[in-house]
Amino acid sequence: MKKLFGATSKLVTGIGVWAAFAPITLAGAQITPGGVGMQPANSATAEEVQFFHNVILMPIITVICIFVLALLIWVILRYNSKANPTPRKFSHNTLIEVLWTGLPIMVLLVIALFSFDLLYTEDVTPDGKQVVVRGDGQTVDFVFANDFPASRLVARPEHLQVLVDDGSGARTLSSRTDYSTEGFGEPEIAVTLSAPPPAGAHVIMRGGRSVDHRGDVTLAPTMTLKITGSRWYWNYAYPDFGDFDFIANMAAKEDTTPELYLREVDNRVVVPVGETIRIAVTANDVIHAWALPAFAIKIDAVPGRTNEAWFKADREGVFYGQCSEICGIRHAFMPIAVEVVSRPAFEAWIDEQRALAGMEPMFETDNVKLAQGFAASAAAE
Amino acid sequence: MADANAAHGSDDHADHTPPFFVRWFWSTNHKDIGTLYLIFAILAGIIGGGMSGLIRMELAEPGVTFLTYFTGGNVEAAYNFYNVLITYHGLIMIFFMVMPAMIGGFGNWFVPIMIGAPDMAFPRMNNISFWLYGASGILITLSLFVAGANGQLGFAGGWVLYPPLSASTANPGPAMDLLILSIHLAGASSILGAINFITTIFNMRAPGMTLHKMPLFAWSVLVTAFLLVLSLPVLAGAITMLLTDRNFGTSFFDAAGGGDPILYQHLFWFFGHPEVYILILPGFGIISHIVSTFSKKPIFGYLGMAYAMIAIGFVGFIVWAHHMYTVGLSVNMKAYFVAATMVIAVPTGIKIFSWIATMWGGSIDFKTPMLWAIGFIFLFTVGGVTGVVLANAGVDHYMHDTYYVVAHFHYVLSLGAVFAIFAGWYYWFSKMTGWEYREWLGAVHFWIMFIGVNLIFFPQHFLGLQGMPRRYVDYPEAFAQWNNVSTMGYGVTMVAMVVFAICMFDAFFIYRKKAVANPWGEGATTLEWTLPSPPPFHQFNELPRFDRGDAKAF
Repeated sequence: MKKLFGATSKLVTGIGVWAAFAPITLAGAQITPGGVGMQPANSATAEEVQFFHNVILMPIITVICIFVLALLIWVILRYNSKANPTPRKFSHNTLIEVLWTGLPIMVLLVIALFSFDLLYTEDVTPDGKQVVVRGDGQTVDFVFANDFPASRLVARPEHLQVLVDDGSGARTLSSRTDYSTEGFGEPEIAVTLSAPPPAGAHVIMRGGRSVDHRGDVTLAPTMTLKITGSRWYWNYAYPDFGDFDFIANMAAKEDTTPELYLREVDNRVVVPVGETIRIAVTANDVIHAWALPAFAIKIDAVPGRTNEAWFKADREGVFYGQCSEICGIRHAFMPIAVEVVSRPAFEAWIDEQRALAGMEPMFETDNVKLAQGFAASAAAE
Repeated sequence: MADANAAHGSDDHADHTPPFFVRWFWSTNHKDIGTLYLIFAILAGIIGGGMSGLIRMELAEPGVTFLTYFTGGNVEAAYNFYNVLITYHGLIMIFFMVMPAMIGGFGNWFVPIMIGAPDMAFPRMNNISFWLYGASGILITLSLFVAGANGQLGFAGGWVLYPPLSASTANPGPAMDLLILSIHLAGASSILGAINFITTIFNMRAPGMTLHKMPLFAWSVLVTAFLLVLSLPVLAGAITMLLTDRNFGTSFFDAAGGGDPILYQHLFWFFGHPEVYILILPGFGIISHIVSTFSKKPIFGYLGMAYAMIAIGFVGFIVWAHHMYTVGLSVNMKAYFVAATMVIAVPTGIKIFSWIATMWGGSIDFKTPMLWAIGFIFLFTVGGVTGVVLANAGVDHYMHDTYYVVAHFHYVLSLGAVFAIFAGWYYWFSKMTGWEYREWLGAVHFWIMFIGVNLIFFPQHFLGLQGMPRRYVDYPEAFAQWNNVSTMGYGVTMVAMVVFAICMFDAFFIYRKKAVANPWGEGATTLEWTLPSPPPFHQFNELPRFDRGDAKAF
């Protein structure tokens, strides 16, 4: 099912139907004044949400509304008392009643197939694994250890991706022409390339059931971000990097632009681009909800519970959300701002935060690497 | 049936009414109690509608600039006042406007008449039902004027009353306790009323009127009554637990004491989802009669219509957690609720198509009630399909608690239930009051309101898609445009309400045209049209019979 509908969605995306619905993007701001569509997606998951909404649901519900409206207009014109002075007296028609029960069920089944696919993509935290082997110019046989739990084993060709990076960027190989595999569903999967990769090149094997709608295997989270909602600010902690934490308050009107007022904060959350981020969300007074539309995430922060969600950013930049569960008097004034940066810039930021918290640096961040990171980050913005 | 009318002409005692106080305060007459409920609903509608006006005025432009007029310039107090407004707007419109109008008002008035009964089964219980509602209305009003949180007046946490926001830590004042008591009384009133309807409909149908010959409005009230009896005790349990959490040291919903705030949400929505069908099902019944009457055709697929309502009522009990997709349910649980929720679209679709099929081949008169009914069918379809969108948890993670949801439930309730109430009001106005209204004023009311409410709520879909969260007193500048349009729509709707007031004033004091027994002609086949307008104080001293060969299915 996943494959079938994944393929369909890619096909339709390819045709570009949904480009028609994609709202115009403003730099740095995801909301379009007067806009009528969803905020631009910045992850494969959000893209799938938009595909499902813009390409599957919107056309279906629009057609239904227009159909009902057309029927109403028709009966108004054709069967008003002037046009049709003598009413007919029928009150049953088995065929039509079966049809208007059966057809909606069909439509709902189509919706449901896409819907479940999307739901499981969103709600199952990815567990994909990456194995990197250095080629010696001769070896064509590689092994991917299929050490997942039984229900998550790499069992089908689409669960495995093979890439080669010879220093000029990773290139995805085609399972039809570039390599063959053996042993899906077994403890070891043998991958045989049709030609040896150049010496020194990296052979990258990614496997797992968490395949996004683009067909890419999503890897397991590289970090956890702990988010705690309080009245009326968010607290962010980085348990994988020394558990330092900080508070993000809404930026005062004079500290930000008119466009970003009510959305900007004083301390943004910083996460690396292209990596799976697990978020663990809770609250310590009343219920709040952490929302980030560009990633199609909304998860309640409930006292006494820790809710999990995840996202993987496609692009660098700053992305905004707002508290989405009424939490009292200043509910509208505890926004969310996430800054997605390159890996080097992220590591530099982590070391900076650790220094502020009185900890030793965690990454060997020399000044050159640091400068490169920030330059890349700035260029991306 | 014609002889039912004649029977009344000869009954001298039929119009012997008790003195004023006994008639209106100790009422045991279903029509008088119905009238009281309708007056109650109109008053509540004015208050709840006024509150929505304050909300829209505040949201007309970014920045908190309007509600500060009411708080002496205190901005924090204005934030709180906004939350108070959205809370009480919701509670009043649901519990004190739509429910009393549909079930208490039209239900009391027309269910006994339609099934050929002289009155409700338990007339005195009917009276206590109404006055419990009155007490409930007093309590909710009081709660507006006592301390809630932060030394401000009223409870300010949304109509769903989620703890911990409604717990004593976040809302220490008595406003929340009064609100709980108010809902207890309203719930008790509705349960008593529902028992009364179920008993009446099961036992007091005219001879020969089997359930399968019963008018659809009576069917809709029967299903609604079952929903009330089964769902309200769960709400009562939930808010009682809340009350003991607040006052007696229990911790059902307090995580620090081993409780769980999400438990409240499960209990609340186990009531809350059937509640939305409680609000709309009687409207389905009303629309069926109006469509049939003005098309001069019997209702298409009568049995399908009745059983569709039963199906909607049943499925309505097993979909509650689709209001809770973001609280952290497991993925398999969400998948179940997605599937169950989408099932509801099928019986709802059957109803929409059956109404259109009823009109098909008919000879339609576009009298005021029919305009409202056709408006209802289209707008309810729009609200229904956005419900299908929201049913998908994968998309709801984006839409949840945004204005898309606000737009959706106002399309099905504000433009659905309320349009059905207006349709019923214009349909039965002459029957209830004995006066005619001017057709053209009713039509003008409809058209202005149709434009107005669409202007308010259609742009809110856009706001939701752009990500604007609901229950926000202030919003980023980028949301300004559609909020502005929405507020202008409110202005148009207010003009419509003024036209409505003029239409009613005119009917009672200027036009003063006496209504005939059946102003709608051959299409109006239910029993109320065999009685004079208004009906005598006691009707059907001699029961109409359906078992003598003139049986008629509606």
